[in-house]
Amino acid sequence: MISRFNVRSAALTLVAPVLAIVLAVGITTVVLLVSGDEPLETFGYMVDYGFQPRTMVLTLNLATTYYFSALAVAIGFRMNLFNIGVDGQYRLAALIAAAVGGAVTLPAPLHVTLTVLVAVLVGACWAGLAGLLKATRGVSEVISTIMLNVIATGLGAWLLHTDRLAVAVSGSNNIGTKPIGPSGQVPGLHLIAGTEVKVYGFVVVAALAGIGFHFMLNSTRFGFDLRATGRSESAAVASGVNVKKMIVGTMVLSGAVAGLVGMPQLLGASYSYSLDFPTGLGFTGIAIALLGRNNPLGIAFGALLWSFLTNSASILDVHQISKEIVIIMQGVIVLSVVVAYELVRRYRKSAEQRRVGQELAATAEPVKG
Amino acid sequence: MRRDQFLRLAAVVLAGALATSACGGAENTDSAKGDPSQPAKPQGAKIGLAYDIGGRGDQSFNDAAARGLDQAKTEFGATANELEASPGETEAQKEERLRLLATGGFNPVIAVGFAYSKPVAKVAQEFPNVKFALVDDEAAKGPNISNLLFAEHEGSFLVGAAAALKSKKNSIGFVGGVQVPLIAKFEAGFAAGAKHIKPDIKIQTKYLTQPPDFSGFNDPAKGKTAAEGMFDGGADVVYQAAGGSGGGVFTAAKAANAFAIGVDSDQALTADASVKDVIITSMLKKVDVAVYTFLKGFASNSVTAGSTIYDLKVGGVDYSVTGGKVDDIKAQLDELKQKIISGEIKVPDKTTG
Amino acid sequence: MWMTATPEPAVELKGIVKRFPGVVANRDVCLKVQRGHVHAVVGENGAGKSTLMKILYGMQRPDEGEIRINGAPVTFRSPSDAIAAGIGMVHQHFMLADNFTVLENVILGSEPRQAGTVIDFSAARKRIREISDAYGLGVNPDSLVESLGVGDRQRVEILKVLYRGAKILILDEPTAVLVPQEVEELFASLRGLVREGHTVLFISHKLDEVLSVADEITVIRRGTTVETVNPGQTTARRLAELMVGSELPVPELRESTVTDVVALAVEGLTVRTPEGRPIVDDVSFEIRKGEVLGIAGVEGNGQAELVEAIMGIRPAAGTIRLSDTDITGWTTRRRRVSGVGHIPEDRHRHGLLLEAPLWENRILGHQTEKPNAKGPWIDRSGARKDTARIVDEYDVRTPGIDVHASALSGGNQQKLIVGREMSGDPVVLIASHPTRGVDVGAQAAIWDHLRAARARGLAVLLISADLDELIGMSDTLKVICGGRIVRAVDPHNVTPEELGSAMTGAGGEA
Repeated sequence: MISRFNVRSAALTLVAPVLAIVLAVGITTVVLLVSGDEPLETFGYMVDYGFQPRTMVLTLNLATTYYFSALAVAIGFRMNLFNIGVDGQYRLAALIAAAVGGAVTLPAPLHVTLTVLVAVLVGACWAGLAGLLKATRGVSEVISTIMLNVIATGLGAWLLHTDRLAVAVSGSNNIGTKPIGPSGQVPGLHLIAGTEVKVYGFVVVAALAGIGFHFMLNSTRFGFDLRATGRSESAAVASGVNVKKMIVGTMVLSGAVAGLVGMPQLLGASYSYSLDFPTGLGFTGIAIALLGRNNPLGIAFGALLWSFLTNSASILDVHQISKEIVIIMQGVIVLSVVVAYELVRRYRKSAEQRRVGQELAATAEPVKG
Repeated sequence: MRRDQFLRLAAVVLAGALATSACGGAENTDSAKGDPSQPAKPQGAKIGLAYDIGGRGDQSFNDAAARGLDQAKTEFGATANELEASPGETEAQKEERLRLLATGGFNPVIAVGFAYSKPVAKVAQEFPNVKFALVDDEAAKGPNISNLLFAEHEGSFLVGAAAALKSKKNSIGFVGGVQVPLIAKFEAGFAAGAKHIKPDIKIQTKYLTQPPDFSGFNDPAKGKTAAEGMFDGGADVVYQAAGGSGGGVFTAAKAANAFAIGVDSDQALTADASVKDVIITSMLKKVDVAVYTFLKGFASNSVTAGSTIYDLKVGGVDYSVTGGKVDDIKAQLDELKQKIISGEIKVPDKTTG
Repeated sequence: MWMTATPEPAVELKGIVKRFPGVVANRDVCLKVQRGHVHAVVGENGAGKSTLMKILYGMQRPDEGEIRINGAPVTFRSPSDAIAAGIGMVHQHFMLADNFTVLENVILGSEPRQAGTVIDFSAARKRIREISDAYGLGVNPDSLVESLGVGDRQRVEILKVLYRGAKILILDEPTAVLVPQEVEELFASLRGLVREGHTVLFISHKLDEVLSVADEITVIRRGTTVETVNPGQTTARRLAELMVGSELPVPELRESTVTDVVALAVEGLTVRTPEGRPIVDDVSFEIRKGEVLGIAGVEGNGQAELVEAIMGIRPAAGTIRLSDTDITGWTTRRRRVSGVGHIPEDRHRHGLLLEAPLWENRILGHQTEKPNAKGPWIDRSGARKDTARIVDEYDVRTPGIDVHASALSGGNQQKLIVGREMSGDPVVLIASHPTRGVDVGAQAAIWDHLRAARARGLAVLLISADLDELIGMSDTLKVICGGRIVRAVDPHNVTPEELGSAMTGAGGEA
């Protein structure tokens, strides 16, 4: 009986994203037809390109970055906390970690650990500010994290100056932190055959973070309190959860993971935080967390899908097909996935009530008859 | 169709991979130099152009690059594929853009903006037979990389001098788009030029945004607010180095009955008709000339690797005289220009303090 | 009134059977409703009342059996067939558009047309006034629905049904949403309807109401009709016993188990609103081991705040001692871990995670205790095993411990909560309305468990609106009014009526 429940619920869980993707492909087809591009050909380009070994590595690398971001958002979401500040948290974290990592030379594992630790701490503190504001003054975390994003931008710009954390690169109009030496770099992995390009070593960390997230939520008291608060704050309070502590703790944890967002790029590719360090990943994370339903496995698929689409923009551009198609697809997927999840949730709830009623009536029958 | 496409792409990728591995050794520089195996064909060359964020139509330096490209296309009968960066993207994405152009048979490949520095350095090594041009950066070096650089500070010196000469209130302003070292070069030259004329002149400086927020290059409202503040604060000439935000500076100048100075293109020609009359001059940064010259060199098989500096001497930067508003001081400005060319005046390229 | 003389019933159901996959919802249902009667159908939740009414209204089709309206056999394919046959239904949840007027709501879907195109509002308005006056509904056709109270809205629903020409009205749990005053008004309207020759089918499980309004009562149990009785010849107790099929439980405590050991002592407890007004005002009491202290009071007189203060959910002045320990400054969790159990008043808001499986709900409130936790880890298997034990011992009717709490009926949810709070041998139990909204079977079981725990030395603070329960289950009884304990009552020598008047401040000193 239990296993039947689980198989059904697993199937239902898959229905929503599949529906959303089908809908997205449908709407994109219409858009392509209107704009005069051949839909089949377009999707063909995307798929062909997406499954080349080199592109697969690129997809995996970008997805690694997305994964941390979505995970950070999901931690908050699980407690009904909307951490919009992942963007500011990771940027500030990456900048300061890059400066620290570039300033020291240590044995390899220690060097990397120090850099990552700094990033995690900065992210945690920055998000923790929003948590404290909410717990002590009742400031909505939505507002405070948005403001902290802006402050992080200003602070980052101030710090990223040749008088402070940045060094000028000769002959370049770019400035960045002092590059992190070889001992502080994370080597890539040859995971996919047929290409020289390496997968970020951080993909392993991302996988571990996902497992840790799952474990934390489902196997620890902290995770239970977190989920309980997210499902019903009033019930959590009555059960003895200290919601204020949970708010700060959850924001700190979310920010700590946000601190990791910039690490694959910093320690696996650029080794320095410069003017062109990627931005906006925190917002992408929100979309992916929605897509993956705040579930670590779901987020992994969401991140891969999102990354695949983002990367396929390049090939569309080459074929003179407007690459905004990709943004349309991503937007439609998020919107329809939210709707589809809600429909599935309602259906599942009423189906379960019906099922419980039927099974109870069925067992009651022989007693009477 | 799809299958063909795939096979072609696969073949190119394979060839690219082979080339990469074949040239993976340290001695790849010799074989790449000159490269007799693939003589450049001027007629029907396939040009790849990768823009920075904004792309064609940004009324700023992406557009200037596009003008150079257009001129070359008509003149040499070339075709082009123009790709554009997305906001907030990673270096890997920029790299992939260049790589797709190179694998797609585009040669030469032009990258606009300093953010392409590392990607060009990397991809140029993978495709030694493809010529790369990189605008605004000379950190990326290679036998097949031509770095196109500009002495923005020299041009800015001249318009700074013009501003000082034209200012009646002895007070001028500078609006920078985003606070990056590149724009600081404009500011440094401008301030030096103005102080050269009037050492006690008051200069207000404002950058619209700080990185990583690059919206300051594309937000006329911010430009307008900043310039309004300067005019209220007593300035009567404002120089804008803010790309797409410059329009707002012109609007504010018009409203304040004051003057403005354009940037990159001759904005007395390109700006909105209603504000053209406030633009006394523009600091010309001739990205179009640089791009065109590079393509011309490619057509005649005479591309040189390494840096080419487009300064006052070669006419890579200059000031414009459209509208005749600086005719009265033209002699003075030309004299300064000669002094800079001769080396008598050294223009700083960094702001002090 | 020649109509009442005709033997032909308005509605007759014969041998109705309705099967759903794997379950029979209705079996051998036989029901005769005389024209001009208010006929009540009573039964426990899930007994099959709703399915039966859906069959009569054409929303479900019976697998077997016959429906006769005014003596003629009919087959309904949809509610519109039923409406055409003169049957109307007033649902428990109103189906009105808030931002429309009464008039617009009533004619929605059956607009009178002038020359086939324009809606004839004036004709509709006239008819609505006629109907309203004829049955004493007092509905103004031009009021905006959102400005109406619940009772008014219900009358609009009734009017809507009458407007469509219904002669037979089905009312599904109509009093569930009404306050007593509105219930009286509704019953007056129903009497008006039957006087004019309409027939009313009244679904309910509130026996007092049924007895006061119905001309005939049919009891339904486990999907089948058990008996049809005349309200003049039965009692609420007898009806309840028919509903459950067995004798009713009685709330009573047989012998005193009260000891001398104080388990919970509250002294000078005061809770203030943010504005500084006291909601709980200087409350003091002691509960000894083996004692049940009942608090009687009209709802909203500080009971909820008192409970929250004792549980540490709400800040309060005064002292609270558990056995000999001052726990005034303790967190809610520490109090719970130290043996204070809590059955909350609102189980959905404070007692359960509705969208979580039962075994996770077992953990709620006991996150740090065995068998739910081992150190900082959640002990999944321990919690699951103990949930299975509670489901078994407390007769929680569920197909498994992995279903969500929201899928269970209210009574089963409550049994789960009681089972949970009784686990781990609490010293004190704060029980707010422990049997509210629970069917009689579950009620008896919960009382049994309370008695057994009391015998083992549990101290219970019992708050309830059910005066029989309060009187029967309390060793000591205090009355709260305006946040103050106003008097003590001897539960052995008080009737519900006396207690009721004591609660409202009337009546002399006991």
